[in-house]
Order: sequence, then C-alpha cells, then structure tokens
Amino acid sequence: MASIARCLRSARPSGFSSLVKSSVSRPIAIRSFSVTSTNAIRKYTKEHEWIDLSADNKTGVIGISEYAAKALGDVVFVELPEASKKVKAGDAIGAVESVKSAADINAPISCKITAVNVLLEEKPGTINQVPEDDSHGGGWIAKVQVDEEGVKDLEALMDPEAYAEFTAAEGEGEDH
Amino acid sequence: MAPIRPRAGTLGPRSILTRASSLLTSHKQETRRPFTQHQQQALATKRVQIYRSTTSDPYLNLSIEHHLLQNSHPDSTVLFLYINRPCVVIGRNQNPWLEVNLPLLRQGVPPSPNNPNNPNNDTNKTQTRPVALVRRRSGGGTVFHDEGNVNWTVICPPPAFNRDTHAEMVVRAMRGLGIRTARVNERHDIVLDDTSTTYKVSGSAYKLTRQRSLHHGTCLLSSPNLARISPLLRSPAEPFVKARGVESVRSKVRNVGLANEPFVEAVVGEFRAMYGERMEEIEEEEVGAASAMETPEIVKGVRELMSPEWIYGQTPQFTFSTHPTEDDPRERPPLPTDLPTNFHLHLTARHGEIQDIAIRGLGSDQMRDEELSRSLLKQNLLRIPNWRQVLRPTDSVNDEAVPEDVEHVGRWLNNVLGTGSSQ
Repeated sequence: MASIARCLRSARPSGFSSLVKSSVSRPIAIRSFSVTSTNAIRKYTKEHEWIDLSADNKTGVIGISEYAAKALGDVVFVELPEASKKVKAGDAIGAVESVKSAADINAPISCKITAVNVLLEEKPGTINQVPEDDSHGGGWIAKVQVDEEGVKDLEALMDPEAYAEFTAAEGEGEDH
Repeated sequence: MAPIRPRAGTLGPRSILTRASSLLTSHKQETRRPFTQHQQQALATKRVQIYRSTTSDPYLNLSIEHHLLQNSHPDSTVLFLYINRPCVVIGRNQNPWLEVNLPLLRQGVPPSPNNPNNPNNDTNKTQTRPVALVRRRSGGGTVFHDEGNVNWTVICPPPAFNRDTHAEMVVRAMRGLGIRTARVNERHDIVLDDTSTTYKVSGSAYKLTRQRSLHHGTCLLSSPNLARISPLLRSPAEPFVKARGVESVRSKVRNVGLANEPFVEAVVGEFRAMYGERMEEIEEEEVGAASAMETPEIVKGVRELMSPEWIYGQTPQFTFSTHPTEDDPRERPPLPTDLPTNFHLHLTARHGEIQDIAIRGLGSDQMRDEELSRSLLKQNLLRIPNWRQVLRPTDSVNDEAVPEDVEHVGRWLNNVLGTGSSQ
C-alpha cells in the first residue's frame, strides 16, 4: 500500500491534511468490528495495512487503513490474494487500483491466507466506505492463519495511537 | 501479483549495467568506457540514473522497466526511455475482449514509412506488421504505441511521488521545444489545447510498490498510425460484454509533431535539471536486447508478460451475453444474420475460465445444447483457439464437415471471444 497515501497528498492539496490530522484525535482502536474474536489487537504497518490478531494468536484479518483508503481515491478494482498462499511480512499479496495506479497490498506479517473478501471484486468501493471493517460486508481483504513467526513480526508494527501519530506526521509533510 | 521485492539495501541493476557496458556504443554526446569494478558499484548505488533502451520489443522494454523498479536503489530516482514497435497496451486490470479489436490487431498495420530498421520499405509497402497485445503491470487504460511514440518512465521513492510531478517535467520539455499549449489535465494526462479542441498526446499510469513508485507515460510525437488507433481500440464484443475491472476513457488524440530524438533529449535535460546535483555525474546508459536478455529476472519477466495466462488470464470476471440479462440489460445489436435465429449464449468467465455457460439454439435439440454447455464449463477461453472446433457435435467424425450453423457461430465467436492464437 506504500506510496499511495503520499501520492494522493498532492492530488488533494488543501483540506486533506486537516482531514488526516483530525483522525489523530479519533481513537480508531475503539471501533471494534471484529467478528472473528472478541479481543483482537489491531496493528498497523507504515505502508498502511492493518491486521487484527485474535486473542489466541492463531488467526488474523488483514485490510488497508482508512487513511490509505481516503488517500487512494475511488478504488475501481481489488486484486485479491491467492487463498492458501503462505507469505512473509512485506510480500505483495494483492493490489488495488485507483486513479490509474496499481498499488500493492503487502502482508503485514508472515501468515497463510485462509480466506479472501470476494465481495470486493464485485464492490471495490467498499474499500473506500469501510476499509477497517472486518465483519461481513466490510472492506477487509483477507483472513489469515498466523504462526509464531507472524506473532513475532507483529512487534515491528504500530498500535492505533502510534499509527495515528505516524499518519498525522505524513499529512504535515505535505504542507512543505 | 508483484513478485517478492528485494529487501531494503539491495543494490541497483548491476547485471544490466555490467552487460550494457559491453554494448555501449559511441553515444553522440558522451564518452563511453567499460566499467571498472569501482564504477559498477557506483552506478549500482547512484541516486540518479538514466537509461535508454535500444530494443523496440514491448515485452522486453516493460520487463527492463520492471527490473529497474524492483532492483534500483530504494532512494534512487531513475529515468527510463523506450520506443516500442506497434502494440496495444492494456492496463493491469482490463479486459482485452472489451478494450481491443483483436481481429484487427492480428491484421496489423503497414510498415512504418520512416523506420530505418525496415530496409525493404520500398518493396514491401503492402505487407503489414501484426500489432502486439501487451498487458502492463501498472493500472489505467488502453493505449497504442508505435515508433512515433516515445515512452518515458520515472521511478522514485514513495515520499517524492505525486501523480503530476513527472508529467509536468515532460510538459516543460515539450514547451522548451516550442509546444506552448502543452499542459497536464485533471486526469494526469498531457494535452494540447487547439483553438477549439483539446487533444491528448500522452497518457499516464502508475505502479506503486512498498519501496518504489513508478510513473510511466506515452507521448505521441509522429505516429503514422493515428487514424488506425481508434478502430484498433473498438471491440466488436463491446455490446455483449459486461466486465469488472477498469474501463478505458476515450480521448481524442493527435501527434505532437516532434521527432523522437529532440524530445528524448529535452526530457533527459529536464530530468537532469530536477535531480542532477552535478550534471556530469549522471551518465546515460543504453540497454539493449542482448544485454537485457542475459539477466534472468528480465527473461522471466518477458516470459510472464508474453504468456496467455497474463495477457488474457489476468482479466477480471466478466459476462458475455448475446441477449439482455438482468445484470446487463443493454439492448443488443442484431446478431449476424447467418447465426441460427434462436441462438443464445451467456457465459461468465473469471481469469478466462468459464464459470457458467448456457448455449441455446445451436444443437439439434435442447439436450445437445446442454451437453455442449457442460462440455465447455471450466474450460479456459485462452485455451480455446478455435470455437468452430469446440462447438462441433461430440459424435461427429474428425473429417466430417462441420455443420453450417456451428461453422457460422464458431466464426462469430472467434471474432468476439477468440484469442486468435491459431487463426
């Protein structure tokens, strides 16, 4: 999901940064959509993916962040990951297309894809509407199985507060 | 799917550089020397790099470009310039059956009148060259390339990326050459404003990976095929196809009216002005077919880009229906008069594979039609080189004449749903 957010900054020079900043004060973590587990921990990558890890550390759900979804503009196609594929943290597992840009979606941690959100093929705009919703009808990308390596990868990721600060800083960078 | 990228810190396209060094011919303005070990290292780590391709193979050029995207230093900014032989290039998530007139593509275009690589020009005026079908890895819509079109690519780190920066760079190059009305429009394309009309001369597309951002664009300078572009990009299947994914936006195009070389030099000049701290440090490197094909990753990329699995199989799900459906209620044009009057076909294909299919009015009775539909289920469109063959009644002997109805339907389907690999 790397650079999208950044490129869109220039596409929306005014207003966008304040939009981003406002998310700082909004505690994203409180929005609990999870149906897969009750006490999921949500973590974010610098490339704007999120992962919910179940309380038992065995399964997770992956998606792209609200910040990235806003920055992307209208998503016109989602290339879903391949089910049952094993991937390492940082591997490209799928892609989203918006405004002539094919942007990789990367695995936040090492994991095995167990299910993909087929709804997104039919309704790619769901990514713009509810990107951080991991329930049925939400904009989540894939469900995954996680092993010890994956749990360890999680340490390098940001919690919702740290991510909010991170994106706020990115938004500020735009003003220069 | 984008292949696994090298970890941070991986150095530049050393293999290209090494091999390119052996090919480096005397370039007009620059002195060429074979690289020493030290120089190779320097080039591989250099923050600003310029490459020019000497091949006109579109699959190879896109694979060299992809190699630069994946292997150039994460902090580097790279300019790559290339010119392709005639080809139609569709976006990553497009449908070739919907975007392209595939039969016309196979008929080809006349040889380029000013192509120095075509010494038989005078004697071969009637011979056409087929137009290649290419699916690129970036997003966006369908474009036409030929020798009168120059492609430019800028690869940079994500923080430096924005969708207009490098289109503006190309606009500055054009203005410097006297094309005063050039500007970037709201779709990130470069257009020329005429007295009454605005013409597109350059289209943009992007590929964004974890570590790198790629912006590439076309630039129609002096294409002799201008009038052929629109027919090539009008599919006979369009009224019958409803597709997920990305549909092209049609624009009026024209030539800028510049020769390739001055344009390329002006773009290089603007790129140097943007990124060169000390200009003389940025050398231009030529990359040729021979050297590129010695790089295994590029060979792999070419193989992938040329495979029917990529060109056709990457197509997002679509339906093809001869008659209005709930999902696609558009009124259909009349079918060719030589098809059986009650002929109906509806199919859904995902990655080319037929997910559901219903044929009516072709077999001798309903049972035959159902049998035929069942036999086609799960078959892949890209493995159906000839519909006349697959529609034949299963009990017909090989040398038996194909029934007339089947012949006509088969011929029509080859036209609208074929890949043309054996026609």
